[in-house]
Amino acid sequence: MRISTIFGRRAAVRRELEASRELLYRMAYAWCHDAALAEDLAHEAAEKALRRAGQLRDAEKLRAWLLRILANCVRDHARLRREHVELGVVEDIVAADGPTPEEAQASAQLALRVRRAVGELPLGQRQAVTLVDLEGCSYAEVGEILEIPIGTVMSRVCRARQALRERLASFASEALGARLRSVK
Amino acid sequence: MSEEHKVSDELRSAFVDGQLDAAEWARVAQFMEGDPALREDVGELRMLKDMVRHAYAVPPARASHIRRSAAAGWKSLAVAAVVFAAAGWFGHAWWRAGPALDPASAYALRGDWHALRGDWRSLDGNHVLVHVSSGSREALTMALDEVEDLLRSAHAARRSVEVEIVANSLGLDLLRADASAYAARIAALRREFPELSLVACGQTLERRRAGGGQVTLLPGTVVAPSALDQIVKRLRGGWIYVRA
Repeated sequence: MRISTIFGRRAAVRRELEASRELLYRMAYAWCHDAALAEDLAHEAAEKALRRAGQLRDAEKLRAWLLRILANCVRDHARLRREHVELGVVEDIVAADGPTPEEAQASAQLALRVRRAVGELPLGQRQAVTLVDLEGCSYAEVGEILEIPIGTVMSRVCRARQALRERLASFASEALGARLRSVK
Repeated sequence: MSEEHKVSDELRSAFVDGQLDAAEWARVAQFMEGDPALREDVGELRMLKDMVRHAYAVPPARASHIRRSAAAGWKSLAVAAVVFAAAGWFGHAWWRAGPALDPASAYALRGDWHALRGDWRSLDGNHVLVHVSSGSREALTMALDEVEDLLRSAHAARRSVEVEIVANSLGLDLLRADASAYAARIAALRREFPELSLVACGQTLERRRAGGGQVTLLPGTVVAPSALDQIVKRLRGGWIYVRA
């Protein structure tokens, strides 16, 4: 193999890892709402994935495979700590870097409020709905990732949405209205 | 049983997530035709989905106080990855694994103008079906504006595109030669863009004619057995679906 090919591949792999890093971190954060813990879980999942690379038979299913490893890490973590990952406080406000301060603020507030509502869901529902909404996973994929039947995926997503809707009903129209006004 | 309960909450969610097969999808779509409450409900679910996506679009920056040096950790992973690169699974279509349905129809099931505009650049498909079923002046005007915009931007980007407007229910007015509010504009569009085609729903036509109405369609309009037939046929052919 020519040396330039090796370097080219190394660069490509680096890029792929960057991509997986974002994916795993974002999903870990959506599940545990703790930036430090999310970073650790994402890292642990990537490490495990690399160690088990040989087990992956179907490259097309890589995303589901990685996320399943992450889900297992979350489960192990909860077991070790002898507690549910039913995290509490949603930290921080997103940095105000929107086009206008008002818009950024309204948008950050909405994000925060939605995260809070998501954080109040049972872990199973939280995982299912964020996999579908954030990553665009199919129900079949979610079933593989969380190792549950597809019917369970369907009902978890549905119940999660009902709960979110109830919790966000009042806020949604108000916040969206404000956001639209500020955008003009 | 009321209309509302014919489509369960689970089915509604699955509809919004693009997880129904063509037959189920057509069934829900059919109920939506005649049930404004259901349409509104589905709209709310879509909004909720967008809100969740938005809420995590920019997760908080990774903590700087993590137990171990994460940056160094990721670097070592990158090095370790090189070892596995030889096994061949990195080079593959990494994040391209899309939803279970084929990408075009999965996309199609949640298609609206907003989504289309956002995703247009990254979409491979060059066939867009615009489904018009509302008779409101606003909706019809907007549909034409969007179609015109789409055709113009495709031209500007030298991207060949085929657009088909499928009209049924109250949306049929758009294609009527005798309800002339839009006739001149559509004719001009068709002259400029031969890749725009018009399809009317045969069932809607039949119902109107049975009710004693005279309906003359714009020249060049094709009549399909029904709008749903046409839509399902196009979805199977990989067309992008947008509900106007």
